[in-house]
Amino acid sequence: MVKLFALGELPGLQSLTVFHALAMLNMECLIVVSPRDPIVSIGYFEEADESVDLGSCEKHNISVMRREIGGGTTYLDANQVFYQLVLRKGNPIIPIRIVDRYRLFSEPPIQTYRRFGLEVEFRPINDLCTKEGRKIAGEAGGDIGESIVFAGGILLDFDYLAASRIMRVPDKTFRDMLYKSMKENVTSMKRELGEAPQKKEVECVLVEEYEKLLGPMEPAELSPAVQELMAELEDKFTAPHSAPKRGLRPRMEVKVAEGVRVVRRLHQGAEGTIRLTMEVKNDKVIDIAISSDWAFSANDELRRLERTLRGVRLQGDVLRRVLRRFCEQYGVDSEEIGLQDLARTILAKQLRRQHSPLLDVRAAERQIDSTSNEDLASEQ
Amino acid sequence: MSPGSPNQKVIEGYRFPVDIYYHKEHTWARVKEDGNVRVGMDDFFQKVAGVIINVELPSEGYQVEQGVSCGKIQSSKWISSIVSPVNGSVVAVNHRLEEDSTLVNSQPYRDGWIMVVKPVKLEEDLRQLMRAEQLDEWLRKETKKARAEIDKRKSRQGLGRF
Repeated sequence: MVKLFALGELPGLQSLTVFHALAMLNMECLIVVSPRDPIVSIGYFEEADESVDLGSCEKHNISVMRREIGGGTTYLDANQVFYQLVLRKGNPIIPIRIVDRYRLFSEPPIQTYRRFGLEVEFRPINDLCTKEGRKIAGEAGGDIGESIVFAGGILLDFDYLAASRIMRVPDKTFRDMLYKSMKENVTSMKRELGEAPQKKEVECVLVEEYEKLLGPMEPAELSPAVQELMAELEDKFTAPHSAPKRGLRPRMEVKVAEGVRVVRRLHQGAEGTIRLTMEVKNDKVIDIAISSDWAFSANDELRRLERTLRGVRLQGDVLRRVLRRFCEQYGVDSEEIGLQDLARTILAKQLRRQHSPLLDVRAAERQIDSTSNEDLASEQ
Repeated sequence: MSPGSPNQKVIEGYRFPVDIYYHKEHTWARVKEDGNVRVGMDDFFQKVAGVIINVELPSEGYQVEQGVSCGKIQSSKWISSIVSPVNGSVVAVNHRLEEDSTLVNSQPYRDGWIMVVKPVKLEEDLRQLMRAEQLDEWLRKETKKARAEIDKRKSRQGLGRF
């Protein structure tokens, strides 16, 4: 029988070390818990000093901790109810495909939202969204020891300001756009329903829904051995984050929800640099702020270019056509702004980060099912 | 080599060359002429994982143990373990994966290899691994078991297709 750890609130760091410890001890369980104090959690492949504004976290007394499951930087606080599911790798309930694991294990939180009157659906790969498409939970998972862990959180309320403040981003323009994009694309029970239900009620419904999936669960408490391991892990996962390295660039891209990103692009034209800060949703420019330091950059022209690019789909031919038309219409010298380069800059899929290769994810997805025959050729 | 070729098995749509060994955690092991073992992730893994976004490789010189995690792979917001199929020390890692981790997807048995291990007890290790023929039976059993479980829960909950 799967154990149930209904833990109420724990200190921030413990609310995350707990699932690591129980997974390492190979204990099948559901953990329902909230962090008593705010915490920033970074993904396994992220660097704290690259992704997180450590100065801001220190100023606001927010701990930063690495987790051993996937995803990116996340702001967590007491207005979230975490569900953390630990199962042994061989458990036949675990779907084979990863996307199917998210779909199956997301069903209880989806039903929980629905029981409180909120129509929420699963959006692959790992988001829960309202009918209007606003993200209301992000999820992540991974293998830890001989277990798999699936984790997410019900958002009773969401602190947009705090969540945008903890990210290490290039400047205020970027941060303001990130804040605006979060407000537009992330929501909470309080925002959708007018007020958030009681946390206890949400916890109870969540457990009931997980019991439909997992069968009856056996209530359990954290043993001294588990607590000891949690303390060890806390030290390991919060090892002092160094001050930002000299010359280390802040992140130029932040994912807000599935398909929604705020990005910074730098374009070196003949006469100087153009800085573009864009909110991109499903490959379309939703908002854009442009600044520059050369003659072309008379404010009127920049504002016109912003207006021209809003709503434009980020496809090479479409974008180049729009930019060419802009130059013709307003008498801008296309060579002076380096039109071709500008289009390339805007289209850049991802900026290189440590451990994060330049990927054309769609092209890679196409390849998954068509492994080349040559690949199978024997080689020594 | 084609899907119907005698040099590979196609099991439930996943391809497995017949000349290499497989660990149940979906790593493969190919014994090279110099006695070292090249290791990678199999076609089953890359298909169920989705696009590989990051790979954490072990360091050269790292002592790996059969059945124990020696690295991590991220795909679909999921961190999977790279489980070594043999015991030994890492003598080479595929640095190309730091530039393009999707090689694990596009060429799992060739350019998407993970590491080369100098084995310490190869014969013993190989006895613990499966060949494509054994894999056939094991994988079919595993997928059947998983499907049965999903069907059971779907009927209990009225859930959609998984």
